[in-house]
Amino acid sequence: MRILLTGGSACGKSTYAETLAVRLAAPRYYIATMRIFDDESQKKVDQHRKMRKTKNFITIERDTDIHLIRLPQRSTVLLECMCNLTANEMFDNYGNITDVYDKIISGIESLASQCENLIVVTNDVGSDGGEYDAGTREYIKTLGRLNISLAQRFDCVYELVCGIPLVLKGRLL
Amino acid sequence: MILVIGAIASGKLEYVKSLGYSDSDIADGVLDERPVLNNLQDMVFSDPAGSDKLYDALLKKEVVICNEVGSGIIPFQRTDREAREATGRLCNRLAQAAERVVRLVCGIPIVIKE
Repeated sequence: MRILLTGGSACGKSTYAETLAVRLAAPRYYIATMRIFDDESQKKVDQHRKMRKTKNFITIERDTDIHLIRLPQRSTVLLECMCNLTANEMFDNYGNITDVYDKIISGIESLASQCENLIVVTNDVGSDGGEYDAGTREYIKTLGRLNISLAQRFDCVYELVCGIPLVLKGRLL
Repeated sequence: MILVIGAIASGKLEYVKSLGYSDSDIADGVLDERPVLNNLQDMVFSDPAGSDKLYDALLKKEVVICNEVGSGIIPFQRTDREAREATGRLCNRLAQAAERVVRLVCGIPIVIKE
């Protein structure tokens, strides 16, 4: 089963994703994509580690190149999240922007082919109507295209609102 | 408590009035004796770190109205990010305790928890 979870910041996606993963087959792999570059990202990583502590996840830290991941056992994988992964793949420290759509899609397909259940957390970055520089606009577009493609490929798509899953595709598991 | 959420100008206030509340029942971003609190997000944005302390008082309200603020690009300013996260987390807790959660989209109330 492949499940895509979307929603804004702090809408309860991670909590829901972990609770869902715990109900599915073990072992459970957690693919962490956040790059730690300051105390704020460190805090976020610590907070997520604490949330996962009692849930028996095996954490794989991989902030780019998820296609290189080889899972030892077919089971349940939680990938968190598309927004970090896409930003990490797109931008380097020199202001260069790479088209990462195909690379990320093949990475997700590679993961999907190695597990029974794949849960992917993404974010709704396109709906604030703000004015942004060219790089950010490209990022919004890329993540939007990735979200569309994943939603088409996946069995279930839920939007999380105040911690409540709204079914956009498939059924509630 | 009924939690009413939705985007800016999505029809939240009109919906609450349709439940029978009038202007004199609705407090705007301030905790007092009135049964409805509007614009919870303003209270959180003015003091993100203290937002957890609002929780108990909010549960005593008949209706709490809050903008959904988590969508879109993550803000560049750290204080904006923290306020957004604090609003989201508080709403998650309120939704868990609420007897009903209603989301407004284009003026249409969608009951997402009952």
